[in-house]
Amino acid sequence: MPSASDTRSSTAPDDTTGPGGAGRPAGAGPWRGRLTTGRLIRLGAFLVCAALLLSFPSMAPNPYILSAGVVVLSYACTATAWNFMGGFTGYVSLGHAAFFGLGAYSTALLIRDLELSPFVAWLLGGVVVLVVTIPVGVAALRVRGASFVIVSISFVLITLLVFQGWDAFTGGSNGLVVPRPFPELLRPEHHRVFFYLFAALLGVMLLAWWAIDRSQFGMGLKAVREDEDKAQALGVPTRNYKLAAYLISGTFTGLAGGMYALWFGDLDPIFQFSIMLGAYMVLMALLGGVRHLFGPLLGALIVGSALEYFKMEFGDTQLHLVATALLLALVVLFMPDGIIPAARDLVRRFGPQQSSIREMTAAELLERNREAAAEAAARTAGGTAAGGTAGDGDRTDDGGTDGAGAAGSGKEEER
Amino acid sequence: MSSRRKHTWGVAAALSAGALVLTTACSGDSGGGGSDDTIVIGVSLPLTGDFSEPGKGVQRGYEAWAQMVNEDGGLLGRQVELKILDDQSSADRVVQDYEALIAKDQVDLIFGPFSTRLVVPSARVAEEYGMLFVEPAGAAGEVFEQGFENLFYAAPAIAEDHYDYLAEYLLGLPEDERPQTVAVASMDDPFAQGTAYGLRDKLAEGGLEIVVDEVYPPNTTDFSSIAAKISSSGADVVVGGTQYQDAVNLIVSLQQLNYQPRLAAFSTAPTNPEFSAAIGAKTEGILSPTGYTPEAAWESNTDFVERYTEIHGSPPSEDEANAFTTGQVVAAAVEAVGCAEQGDCQQQLIDWLRDAEVDTVVGPLSWDDAGRPQSAHLIQQYVDGEIRIVLPEDAQEADFVFPKPAW
Amino acid sequence: MNTALLFQSLVLGVLLGGLYALLAAGLTLYFGVMRVVMIAHSAFLILAAYIAWYFNQQTGWDPLFSLLITVPLFFGIGVGMQRLLITRLRPATLTMMSVLLTFAIALFIEGMIGFVWSGTQRRIQLPYSGDSINFLGASVAVVKLMAFALAALSLALLYLLMKKSRFGQALRATIQHKEAAQLVGIRTDRVAGLGFGLGLATAAIGGTALSLDATIYPSLHWHWIGPLMAIIVVGGLGSIPGTAIAAMVLGIGQSLLQVPLGTTWAQTLFYVALFATLMLRPQGFFGGRLAQRF
Repeated sequence: MPSASDTRSSTAPDDTTGPGGAGRPAGAGPWRGRLTTGRLIRLGAFLVCAALLLSFPSMAPNPYILSAGVVVLSYACTATAWNFMGGFTGYVSLGHAAFFGLGAYSTALLIRDLELSPFVAWLLGGVVVLVVTIPVGVAALRVRGASFVIVSISFVLITLLVFQGWDAFTGGSNGLVVPRPFPELLRPEHHRVFFYLFAALLGVMLLAWWAIDRSQFGMGLKAVREDEDKAQALGVPTRNYKLAAYLISGTFTGLAGGMYALWFGDLDPIFQFSIMLGAYMVLMALLGGVRHLFGPLLGALIVGSALEYFKMEFGDTQLHLVATALLLALVVLFMPDGIIPAARDLVRRFGPQQSSIREMTAAELLERNREAAAEAAARTAGGTAAGGTAGDGDRTDDGGTDGAGAAGSGKEEER
Repeated sequence: MSSRRKHTWGVAAALSAGALVLTTACSGDSGGGGSDDTIVIGVSLPLTGDFSEPGKGVQRGYEAWAQMVNEDGGLLGRQVELKILDDQSSADRVVQDYEALIAKDQVDLIFGPFSTRLVVPSARVAEEYGMLFVEPAGAAGEVFEQGFENLFYAAPAIAEDHYDYLAEYLLGLPEDERPQTVAVASMDDPFAQGTAYGLRDKLAEGGLEIVVDEVYPPNTTDFSSIAAKISSSGADVVVGGTQYQDAVNLIVSLQQLNYQPRLAAFSTAPTNPEFSAAIGAKTEGILSPTGYTPEAAWESNTDFVERYTEIHGSPPSEDEANAFTTGQVVAAAVEAVGCAEQGDCQQQLIDWLRDAEVDTVVGPLSWDDAGRPQSAHLIQQYVDGEIRIVLPEDAQEADFVFPKPAW
Repeated sequence: MNTALLFQSLVLGVLLGGLYALLAAGLTLYFGVMRVVMIAHSAFLILAAYIAWYFNQQTGWDPLFSLLITVPLFFGIGVGMQRLLITRLRPATLTMMSVLLTFAIALFIEGMIGFVWSGTQRRIQLPYSGDSINFLGASVAVVKLMAFALAALSLALLYLLMKKSRFGQALRATIQHKEAAQLVGIRTDRVAGLGFGLGLATAAIGGTALSLDATIYPSLHWHWIGPLMAIIVVGGLGSIPGTAIAAMVLGIGQSLLQVPLGTTWAQTLFYVALFATLMLRPQGFFGGRLAQRF
């Protein structure tokens, strides 16, 4: 058996979950391996998608579609931001809408009261969210599982009450009007500018996710996701790691909220601190696949487009709630790992010839066998020691991880 | 590199591309409104959610207007068609609705939504597309402080002035008959607060003591604490800044505590046809401001009431009338300018309305630079089980009952 | 604040606390038997209230009679839900995924209520809606008293069932230690299903009680689930007596705080209590040892 280190050194950039590797062309990762057809295909696919996304404003037939595109992109930003916590650590927060609202309101209030320029206020708004997130994170992360979810929901409800109740400061239920950052722009132009701004924000988030995914920090977080007690026993500073992930996640969500405030212009506590928004984030991320870099983005594209379509077509009924509910239930019951693994399994089932394409090297074949073995072992024994800690969780993704996971955890242990 | 990941990526790429194409495709079918012979008018209304009761009233009013205009030969000789979307009482939706109506469906004209809270965001969309925006319900003062240049409120007066006649009357009473203490409870909503605080501030200025001043969030269902506070204060006057259901709940809670004020005024709710049944028919003496009465003798009103009653079996209430008024105001501008489409026409309509006086079912209306109407609201009261105009005296249908009988 | 108002608020608080106690007991029951935080609990509560309203609307009978329909119906739904849905989830991620699943159920119910009965606010109009009786100077609305009596009676029944019956013993054994309960021959999966049904039956009763004196609308359940969840954490997850005490204390607290602070700020009491509990005693103030882990 080629040693784990061998595998790791040859495929290091890929040794993270799923399409983490796929992000590499964008992140311009080192081209250490051969320029295989597979890589070309992936690079091509990535470029095509990016080009499609960026050319959307010029393809949109009318400003309404463009504004729907902005909404979908804002969903993609929030879902990706959510995934910093939900994806890495497995802590499902239904309350991220609170950070969204806090970001939106901080931005708006900084513009109103300190008369800062919009984008300075936006960045400072992110800082405000970061500062608020610290005590909340400390409290919320004292508990796990169900209690954490309770706390997260409560956090939305309490922020909703505070922003409704403190009307002298926040405008209460009357809402708050955010001045336009580009007052001279016509509405369609305004949408176009914000489409690119959201796209840029999304790009930054994806890059950050990709970087963390490859880092030791990310490895520690994933260890928490698979088995927090074991990770702790192995010396992963779980509390600080979780808190850090929570802060990053909250801040990015807040930045998305601030951007939304600048774009949308009208804030109302009921809509900014809405449990539904938090639920959409979870649904999008889960649907796409929380372990994949592009999972939340994919989920947002699907759910966001479907929501817009649904509201346009069936706007006068509550059926969109029912549809959302059914989709969420289906995802939870039948594909908790998301579409990407589910679709991949499907493709593999229908495409046996693909495995015979000669891109597969002997090393890859070996890796796959090893992975299958690890998977079986993980299933039966629930994973042993270090290898199992990170390995069994990633069993649905790729086997390369358990080697790296072991090493990652091992390093933590040395500290 | 495993072959799996390749698949992953391919699948992800295909799916995202698919979703994108779907977005573009499924919405690409522009509604194709505005064919040459019909004038399409876009509206977004809260048909579900918090404001659904009044929202449906506004819908009835708009539909009655369209039907009557079409029966009379249309606008500029063209038939009128309404395109109504449901905004679920949500500000996010209302913006997208108007965006869709204007940019995607290319409607020729738009009418405003219901409730102040939804008017401000939608007026901004309308302004940024240069559309005339006449609205039936954005009464709160702040609507007119946003600097909109395309906005006109199609009712007699803004919220803060709704109780003017009542305040005048109370302050005009001799010292020993005049009530001394006031309890105010208002929904945290710009319209509801506008009406209640307009009266509160005028009474406070006139020397009455405000003993309770409560605000509750829009979705409050338990009013027992607020009622307890009001009841224990023993205030002479109770003023409710209410929409509909909250007024019912508050009144029932006050009844449960056996609190008997000398005067009780609630905004909006008492004009609703279901109000009386909802509070167990104990309506006697309850006051409410209104911008409209079916009995008013304005020229177009008699026709409106008659034909509306024919369609719906009962006379219109305030929401229907305000919606109808909106239609009348826009129609007047369209007929005067002679056009109804997007583009330069809209600015001409706006310019014309700025200096115009339009005869409507609520009387002649004119507006200041910010779109505030320049008339006044009437005060009505439940007298012998019927809601009647009691103030001002020259429009009186029944005598003002004070103090209010027990409920 | 004068004494009369204080006393009035206290009485209102007790009446409110009783309802909270019943509902939170149901919520803590699910958690006890299955480690499931049942977000849909309050959605079922509102559904029961809607059924009561619709029943009253259609038949003109007192909404209390709708209990004859809703209690068995909800019990059946609860058992079915546990057996058909919850058990399908992977044990490893059960806690998280069950939250999402029940969240989806809550949304589904909210959407269906809105679809069937529209989003309009509803209220049952009873001949005795405005009546009250005098209790030591405080007016107590008859409808509120009935709601409280219903809640107190059900809670007492639940307590007796848990303490005295064989099923109750099995249920408590399952809550305390599932594996051990299995070893002594308790069919814990069946017991869990029945426990779920029992929990949902409390929602049926609570909903009917609620419908007597409250306006209902589809999204109202969000206003209930927050306080209820805070109550079960403060009371200690899985502990029914702790839950009942916490419900009473917080219900009275909310009612008293409404006088000086107003309704909006008074509601924050629940969340302040929740965060305080997490910082000071994550396992809850009244027993219960499960919070830390779940």
